[in-house]
Amino acid sequence: MSGAALHATSGAPLLQVEGLTVAFGRGDAAVTAIEDVSFAVGTGEAVGLVGESGSGKSVTSLSILRLLAPSATIRGGRILFAGRDLVTVPRSEMPDLRGRDVAMIFQEPMSSLNPLMTVGDQIGEAIALHEQVSPQAREARVLELLGGVGIPDAAQRRRAYPHQFSGGMRQRVMIAMALACRPRLLIADEPTTALDVTIQAQVLELMRDIRERTGTAILLISHDLGVIAEMCETVVVMYSGRVVETGRVADVFRDALHPYTRGLLASIPRLDGESRRLHQIPGNVPAPGARPRGCAFAPRCPVKVARCEAERPALTPLAPGRGAACFVAGSEAA
Amino acid sequence: MLRVVGARLLDAVPTVLLVLTLVFVALRLLPGDPALVVLGEYATQDQLALFRRQMGLDLPLWQQYLAFLKGMLTFDFGTSMVSQMPVSQLIRENLPYTIELTLVATGLGVVVGIPMGVVAAVNRGRWPDMGARIYSLVGYAIPDFYLGALLLIGFALNLGWFPINGGGSGFLDRMYHVILPAITLATLKSAFLGRLTRTSMLEVLGRDYVRTARAKGAREPRVIFRHGLRNALLPVATGLGLSLLATLSGSVAIELVFNRPGIGEVLISAIAKRDYPVIQAGVVIFAFFVVVVNLGVDLVYALVDPRIRVKA
Amino acid sequence: MTTVDEPLLASDEPSFGVLRRMFSLERPGTIVAALVVLAFVVVAVLAPTIAPYDPLKQSYLKINTYPSADHWLGTDQFGRDVLSRLLFGARNSLIFGLLAPGIAAIVGTVLGVCAGYFGGVVDRIVSRIIDLLLSFPELLLAIMISAALDGGFWNVLLVLSIAFVPGFARVARATTLAVRQEPYIEASISVGLRTRTVILRHVVPNMASPVVVLATLWVASAIRLEASLSFLGLGTRPPAPSWGNIIRDALGNVFGSPWPIIGAGLAITIVVLSINVLGDALRDALDPDMP
Repeated sequence: MSGAALHATSGAPLLQVEGLTVAFGRGDAAVTAIEDVSFAVGTGEAVGLVGESGSGKSVTSLSILRLLAPSATIRGGRILFAGRDLVTVPRSEMPDLRGRDVAMIFQEPMSSLNPLMTVGDQIGEAIALHEQVSPQAREARVLELLGGVGIPDAAQRRRAYPHQFSGGMRQRVMIAMALACRPRLLIADEPTTALDVTIQAQVLELMRDIRERTGTAILLISHDLGVIAEMCETVVVMYSGRVVETGRVADVFRDALHPYTRGLLASIPRLDGESRRLHQIPGNVPAPGARPRGCAFAPRCPVKVARCEAERPALTPLAPGRGAACFVAGSEAA
Repeated sequence: MLRVVGARLLDAVPTVLLVLTLVFVALRLLPGDPALVVLGEYATQDQLALFRRQMGLDLPLWQQYLAFLKGMLTFDFGTSMVSQMPVSQLIRENLPYTIELTLVATGLGVVVGIPMGVVAAVNRGRWPDMGARIYSLVGYAIPDFYLGALLLIGFALNLGWFPINGGGSGFLDRMYHVILPAITLATLKSAFLGRLTRTSMLEVLGRDYVRTARAKGAREPRVIFRHGLRNALLPVATGLGLSLLATLSGSVAIELVFNRPGIGEVLISAIAKRDYPVIQAGVVIFAFFVVVVNLGVDLVYALVDPRIRVKA
Repeated sequence: MTTVDEPLLASDEPSFGVLRRMFSLERPGTIVAALVVLAFVVVAVLAPTIAPYDPLKQSYLKINTYPSADHWLGTDQFGRDVLSRLLFGARNSLIFGLLAPGIAAIVGTVLGVCAGYFGGVVDRIVSRIIDLLLSFPELLLAIMISAALDGGFWNVLLVLSIAFVPGFARVARATTLAVRQEPYIEASISVGLRTRTVILRHVVPNMASPVVVLATLWVASAIRLEASLSFLGLGTRPPAPSWGNIIRDALGNVFGSPWPIIGAGLAITIVVLSINVLGDALRDALDPDMP
């Protein structure tokens, strides 16, 4: 089953990940980090990739730009971006793509900027790497970008160094840098996790605003379903290196199919509606080297059946644009 | 910026005083009676008294201390007891050779060591890294005077490619004389700097901003040099200061091996002849270098690292 | 040297684990280095027995001979057997290599613990002096102190020890400061344990590992430093053989025979190299996180 068919938008998606498998290490010591991961991001769409730490969401996002550590290898699958398979693109051609077609921002704004370069120079570098523009034009773009991400007094601040900015401001700089070449896809790996709650809201607001203005597609990686709900149309839920559920945010939130998604939803503190007891999924995510033979969620699953521990459920379409990797959910829907 | 420089300079004042005090304590108090040490135990009472008066050793200790400070701070080092020359003239004549050797050796060491460290870090675990590690291990272990002696025997005595001794006169001749001694010291220095650069570089290459650089489309050379090496060089700058001083102290033995003029040679022969004013001057000059180099490292740091530049 | 003695003491589990980590097959160099160091110690201890000649005995009939069956490394300008002088030189190096870091470790640790534990003015003065002395290369410091002294065994020992004290003091001070923050120290003080008891029972054991590592690394430095000083004529006084003064003597006689230089220099290089390799392995095994 391909990710595209699970997808609501019509036409060929901008990014289509199919059966992506990544392992760390070599030979017998190799550990599979993610396995058979499939999903799609349409042009201009915002897709949320959600999961606990260790679920493989960061590995998935780094694979797209081929920025994985040298010890990691892509063992299988395709990453189609605008029809081109990024897995087979020669290593030497990847830099041309990075930052120009697909840009990325990271979790740690504190350490993701070069401490020895002014923020303006770092944004300018992103432009200069991909476009032949005069220094004056580049400088104008830098100021425009800084203004665009809500940094006041851009002409002054472009000469400042990262340590002179707060965490939220640094993340704005990162976003400005990522947008420098008007990428078609912005990958945001936990962009607000390291920030205070109020700053989080501001940065998310900025990203939403940018999406409306530029029409850039966003792949938002987060452990926080609340953030995804606010930002995205589509959600992809990962657990222990696999996609366990996918669908439109509204549908998934109304009626989650996979017991893990239900557990996640139940553990969000709600401000609206009835006050429920805060739910917690018992147990832990299995380590990549110690995953059970059957469904990885089975040991923690409240609705498991015998088959769950023997066999691994595949991601199956259960409704238009919906899919889940669960034997129980599948039988319920059928 | 000026404020940073001013603050560091001000900070160096107590350091200089402390160094001079320690030198004073070491030279005046540790060995007992300098007059006895210098003149030997067979000196007559008159000779000893004359010496003490000449050296101002008959004064109360605090007056001696003040006189010592005044002399050292005005670069008035007295007169050599052996050659009867003003010590400052002796220093002036010999110092350029030591500085020349130290600078050339440092230059060579940097030119070899830092690229070696970068190559080792980028090729971690592969043969260039192994080669650099073996080079470093040997460079850490081999004594400079031994390496110098081997080079002297091989290239100067047997092959005759280089002069056997002296410092040379005129720029080209001096450079010709300095090559072999400088290579000796540079070998040890590059082993040290190579190791340091490798460690620092490996750390920096694992940082988030290096990933950011790759994510925005920078190619590897740019990632390694613009974003990696520039940041990796900060700790190397401290190491460079340390190794500049190590080279300076190494130059003492090297001057002896190659029979070169220089401050080390002056100090060592003064110690052998118990030429007290010269010993004192030599020790203070070396201490002075240590203070100046450390000050220089601090200033370079402040210049290069915006975090320090702004904080102070 | 700790490393060589340890197999005898390794009855308890932890140090055995350290040894196993040190000599794992992934680091074949460590085993070779350990054998070299062992050979060096054996030679140093047995020098009087295995040396073929008296290292001081001069023979004017055999001056500057090249290596032969009788004299494996030839003779020097005084007709002394170079190999015998090298073997006795090993003994000289071993003594300074063990004693100087040992003494410095004790003095430096006491100084550092006092500075770190009592804080205040004591700490400020001690750390300022430590910082200052640490900004001097050891060799330069040693030369400067030697300038005031007069060579010979005890003075050399004093000079080497002083050169190493600041390093130990800094580590001891840092460790003490870290340990002092621990809740159990506060608890010990609050239940009325005496200062001395607290230091001996809680502070000192915590710094055993860094101090041992430092001492091991500095065995090599001490050997090098002693050789350098002796080469400069500030160390072991001739005719007593030291690897440094063997090279010094031979350099004045370089047209006579280069063999003493080659032999003594190789001995220093190999021994220092091996101890460094062992020291690195010990450091990694004791504390993988230490820089």
